[in-house]
Amino acid sequence: MKGGIEVRDLTMRRGDRVVLRDVSFVVPRGKVLALVGASGAGKSTLLRCLNRLAEPESGTIELDGDDIRHVAPELLRRRVALVAQAPAMLPGSVEENLAYALDVLRAETRDAALAAAGLDASFLPRPAKALSGGERARVALARALTREPDAILLDEPTAALDPETARVIAQTVAALAQRELAVILATHDHALAESVSDATLRL
Amino acid sequence: MSSSVLQVACGLAFVALAAGLAWRLQLGLSREILIAAARAIVQLTAVGALIALVFKYDLLAIAFVAGMVTTAAVTSGGRIKGIPQARARAIAAIGIPAVGAAGILIGVGAFAATPEAAIPTAGILIGGAMTACTLTGRRLLEGLTADEDVIEARLSLGDRIRTALAPTVRQAIKTGLVPAIDQTRNVGIVTLPGTFVGLVLGGASPAEAARIQLTVLLTLLAVELLAATAIAELIVRTRIAPGERLREDVADVRR
Repeated sequence: MKGGIEVRDLTMRRGDRVVLRDVSFVVPRGKVLALVGASGAGKSTLLRCLNRLAEPESGTIELDGDDIRHVAPELLRRRVALVAQAPAMLPGSVEENLAYALDVLRAETRDAALAAAGLDASFLPRPAKALSGGERARVALARALTREPDAILLDEPTAALDPETARVIAQTVAALAQRELAVILATHDHALAESVSDATLRL
Repeated sequence: MSSSVLQVACGLAFVALAAGLAWRLQLGLSREILIAAARAIVQLTAVGALIALVFKYDLLAIAFVAGMVTTAAVTSGGRIKGIPQARARAIAAIGIPAVGAAGILIGVGAFAATPEAAIPTAGILIGGAMTACTLTGRRLLEGLTADEDVIEARLSLGDRIRTALAPTVRQAIKTGLVPAIDQTRNVGIVTLPGTFVGLVLGGASPAEAARIQLTVLLTLLAVELLAATAIAELIVRTRIAPGERLREDVADVRR
């Protein structure tokens, strides 16, 4: 593998319930994997395991050949960026959200992230908490991209969006892989999965 | 009707008014108000009978202060639901700063090392610490639930867990300190606190009463901040899991 995410025999349990059982897959850089399944199938849990917001019971996850348990969590989460289903905006402007937790955010990185998420510089001074659902989804995507990650995890990126915004997000997802990112997309929308992914994993 | 009976009757009438109003407004607090009033009657009657004895024997005075800390912790811990060993954590958060500060005040000679001085001083500090502990704890637990998405967003953007939790913790501590700050800011204008009134009624000069009250109030600010910070830390520790993340049973069970 030239780099990307490799998951082997991942099992996750909550109490007596097995949420994920022996899940294995590979997502090379430049490819999109769609995780498809009904609500409660474990898609979000799997994404959270990939950036260590959750710890699996067993199994291994590698990023570019390195076991993620050997990477400091705060650094891993910048390399494996998660965009939540209903992304929380932090206090302040869109620009402050994009620069959050970064020592320096270069203008070209910021503008590239905005463009990749289908936004422009006019959004920068707007209060992030006042944005619509679709705008939040795009700002959250741009915010994740300002970390310059190696992989990006998208949890139901088009849920609760109008069809036009969902189409823009879908195009953005497809374009992300062109940036040599490993992209993992969790969705219950089979049409979206088929239109943007290189492979599908049913949970 | 004698004046003492009239005094108690007036107090009871106000409690009945409060309970009636709470019932009318459907606040669900009538029972709690009546129980609190009944406890106050029993406790103050018992203290009135015991206090002479407690003032006479040092060991009894120490036991009395220990009882005050325990009662404050049971009260505060009962208000902070959802963390393991809440009462034990409240004992540490209330007892260490309050008793420690009372010991320092007595040690440096600000107050006489007698049960008559130590018990009221410790009582005021323990009471203040209890309020700060309860308010901070409740606000923090509410905040950790309400801010969970924001905390995880901060983690996902590369914050360490302590950094991600800091705004929620700070807000809770600020809330816990509001009564102490307001009390200190308005003392003498809006309120005449217990120490001052008690000393004046006991025959001290107003100037002396004001000096002692000032010492207690200023100490109380530090004690309440320490109590608020301590309970916040003790709650946060129950929420953090190894790997710079929220504990799974808090963050993940709803997913």
